Amino acid sequence: MIEVKNVVKRFDGFTALDGASLSVPTGSVYGLVGPNGAGKSTIIRHLTGIYRQDEGTVAIGGEDVWENAGLKARVAAIPDDWYYFLQSTVRDMMRFYKGFYPRFSVERYEKLKEVFNIDEKRTIRRLSKGMQKQVAFWLALSCMPDYLILDEPVDGLDPVMRRQVWSLVMGDVAERGTTVLVSSHNLRELEDVCDHVGIMDRGKVLLERSLAQLQDNMVKMQVVFRDGQEVPADLPVLHVSRVGRIHTLIMRMNAQEAAARLAVYDPMLVDAVPLTLEEIFIYELGGADYAVKDIVL
Amino acid sequence: MQSKTSFSKYFNATLLRRNLTRFWPLWGMASFAGSLFPLALLVQFLRDEDFYLWNRPLDFTEMYYYAAAYAVPIVSLLYAILCAMLVWSYLYNSRSVGLMHTLPIRREGLFFTNFLSGMAMMLIPYVIVGALCVLVSVVGGCFDAKGLGVTILAVLGLSFFYFATATAAAFITGNTFALPAVYFLLHFLAVMLDWLVCTFSQGFIFGLSGSYSGVVEWLSPTVYLENHLRVSSTYEEVFQRGELTGTGYYTDVLTSVELQNLWLVGVYALAGAALLVIAWLLYRRRRSESAGDVVAVGWMKPVFRYGVTGLSALLGGLLLYELFWRSFQEGRYYEVLPLLVCMLVAGAIGYYGASMLLAKSLRVFRGSWRGLALTAAGCAVVCAVLHFDVLGVADRVPEVSRVEKMTLYTADNNYTFYPGEDEALMERVRAVHQAIAADRDYIMGITGQEDWRSQLIIGDASFHVTYYLSGGLKVNRKYYLPISRQRLAQEGTYDNLLDSLVNSEEMKARRIHLNDARFAPTGGSVYVERRNAGYDLSSRECAALQAAVAKDAAAGAWGQYAWLESDWGGEYALSLELSFAYTGEDGNPRRNWISITLRPGMDNTISCLKELGFITEADLVTNSQLYPEDTWEMEEKFAQEMAAVESADVIGGADGPTTVYVTG
Repeated sequence: MIEVKNVVKRFDGFTALDGASLSVPTGSVYGLVGPNGAGKSTIIRHLTGIYRQDEGTVAIGGEDVWENAGLKARVAAIPDDWYYFLQSTVRDMMRFYKGFYPRFSVERYEKLKEVFNIDEKRTIRRLSKGMQKQVAFWLALSCMPDYLILDEPVDGLDPVMRRQVWSLVMGDVAERGTTVLVSSHNLRELEDVCDHVGIMDRGKVLLERSLAQLQDNMVKMQVVFRDGQEVPADLPVLHVSRVGRIHTLIMRMNAQEAAARLAVYDPMLVDAVPLTLEEIFIYELGGADYAVKDIVL
Repeated sequence: MQSKTSFSKYFNATLLRRNLTRFWPLWGMASFAGSLFPLALLVQFLRDEDFYLWNRPLDFTEMYYYAAAYAVPIVSLLYAILCAMLVWSYLYNSRSVGLMHTLPIRREGLFFTNFLSGMAMMLIPYVIVGALCVLVSVVGGCFDAKGLGVTILAVLGLSFFYFATATAAAFITGNTFALPAVYFLLHFLAVMLDWLVCTFSQGFIFGLSGSYSGVVEWLSPTVYLENHLRVSSTYEEVFQRGELTGTGYYTDVLTSVELQNLWLVGVYALAGAALLVIAWLLYRRRRSESAGDVVAVGWMKPVFRYGVTGLSALLGGLLLYELFWRSFQEGRYYEVLPLLVCMLVAGAIGYYGASMLLAKSLRVFRGSWRGLALTAAGCAVVCAVLHFDVLGVADRVPEVSRVEKMTLYTADNNYTFYPGEDEALMERVRAVHQAIAADRDYIMGITGQEDWRSQLIIGDASFHVTYYLSGGLKVNRKYYLPISRQRLAQEGTYDNLLDSLVNSEEMKARRIHLNDARFAPTGGSVYVERRNAGYDLSSRECAALQAAVAKDAAAGAWGQYAWLESDWGGEYALSLELSFAYTGEDGNPRRNWISITLRPGMDNTISCLKELGFITEADLVTNSQLYPEDTWEMEEKFAQEMAAVESADVIGGADGPTTVYVTG
């Protein structure tokens, strides 16, 4: 289990994390989403032992992360800007990782070679950005980690390779019970792989739920009122839009409750449509002044 | 809770290997460059059987020692920072620091493995060059185990010390480009501040002399080692006979060689160990996010900001003053207001520069008035303390009981006095010094005038005294004094005291090192102006002339120093200089020159010069005879001087008469 409790981190007076807390159950895939500057990468750098928190606790499997070499041997991380030595080849970096990670599996490395299909004798610097990302996955997965921490992991990968990479990660989760924490802006993709989601904003985790809970907590209702009636003012809606006679309402309640509230107005049509993670993200953060603004040029 | 997984805590072989393979171009190039010298020597041995080092182990050892004493400190100073810039480079980039701190190794492991990598990179070239030197010395039959061992110790100690200091500097900063700046600043800050403080102070404080005291030189190890780590060689003259000609000749043979003060390397190596501990403590507390910061240690940021401000105010202030105000300055000493303005401008530039570097932004002006006010107050305090001599430096004349040695330069001669032997003379020198300090306003009033040396009633003299105090401190004062005929006759004035001192019999004897076994006559020169002819003296001739001058001194014909220009002209147009060898404080041979003014009446010296064949009767012309036009000017000057003295008003005072000269 990955557990972050009330973590505060300040940089030269700027508070990057302001009492952030999150909890990732063992064997789950946890998606950490949030707007730019929310503190996602900062929290990940605490989890990988790069930063030391000013306040709070950062623990994995019940152990503090800071300066815990034994624990870090079971954690593999892929940052958004993965570092490699300038002149090194994939094989050089493999030897480097092998020298640090006691569970590094050369056998798996050799197997993954066929998946990634990259010449391991090529200098990494000369590979494309997407191929460099593949190398990062190749090495991270060869470390046989119990915990995999990924920051914008599939940026730069083509759609086929994205699918391939996620398949490998999900395979590890299924076979070895690997716990995965992934931060991404690609909510559509996260929706497919995550079973838990945390939403961050301004250094805090605003909410964290299982994806099912999250989708059950908010609903999109399509309604057609009789005689061109407008949306009643007493309805608790987060957002309203209208196309022709169809009103689309976003409501913070489950579908049955929303249908019951609307039934009072005897609508011609009521239909519940499931929200995408992207919509949940937008409407949840809408309360934190994250509404999409119309820009008039 | 920490994991119990066993993993090497202090060392990771993969990281060491990786460092050495990544950075091989540096140590490879250093090894190649260093190897050129022993290889060149090997070629000499192989092609020339008469090569001077053949079968001469001591000479070869002497070569080792010279390298260890003079080359290794400089080479290590430069090479250590290059190694440090490579092995600690990961700290200065957020991506690389991210990778290294994510790895399953504690900071102890990273620190010690990287330190060992750097030390290996430092030592590999020395090992290669050393091995080649051993090979060459074996080939040349000049292998000396003791010399090799001593040199290895010196190289190990110096390499460790320099790389440890580079490592300490690496943890102070978070920026690759700032690292060499911090490193060289650490190494040379002490001598730079010494120079700056001395230069600054002597521009304010009456009599203060010397732009460098050396008191804190030990804090600048390279300078200190270059000055104190020395090779001491002993040569003996042996008679040899040429194989072909059978002719006998004397030649110098090296009989022993020592590397003096090698213990200093040990002391600096210990200091290096202490710095290494500090570096490790800094690393434990280091924040990875400091990558890219000029100063990575939080509490050092204000030290950096105000340190740069202070340095800039002093150094830049002096520079601006020299550029814009020096030509308007009257007298020897700084004018406080213009200097203060210059310091404020330079200090503000330093303050904003440092703030911009710390903030990594040009927007540092808002709210900066407090820092500027502090800078202005600091500059004003420094100027006030020095200008008003709050610490009383100008009046400080050390007690003889505290003095281990005293040197004096005045009336064109150097003197050295030691307590126990010369206490009476030292007290007289102190009395002159005290009188000068008491007459500060008078001296500064006259010497502050632009052309005081060309004024009618005044001669000038230098009085440069240095007190070497117990405990290694040194009090150094240098005065340019106006001398007047009136005050020469007035008891208690420095003019009078100085005249009595310099023209005393004891000082005359001192001047020619009479009966002083420490000074051996070695030579000198004679110059005859009439014929424009010069001669060098042998040691025997020098000794003969020294004895002749002593006889003239005893007869009262030599040694009276003429302070006033108007008293000159009657001396012969001959220059006589005698040189003496003596052993300096540092044990090295030194040479002392004395200039003898030849006047009519010095019969013994003149006879001796004639006997030695340097002069004839025709050469005995005075400067007045040889240069009558100068004499006319001198006479005119004397007449005017007398007129000026006659028109001087005398104002009575509680402490005696004060003379006011009317020269206009």
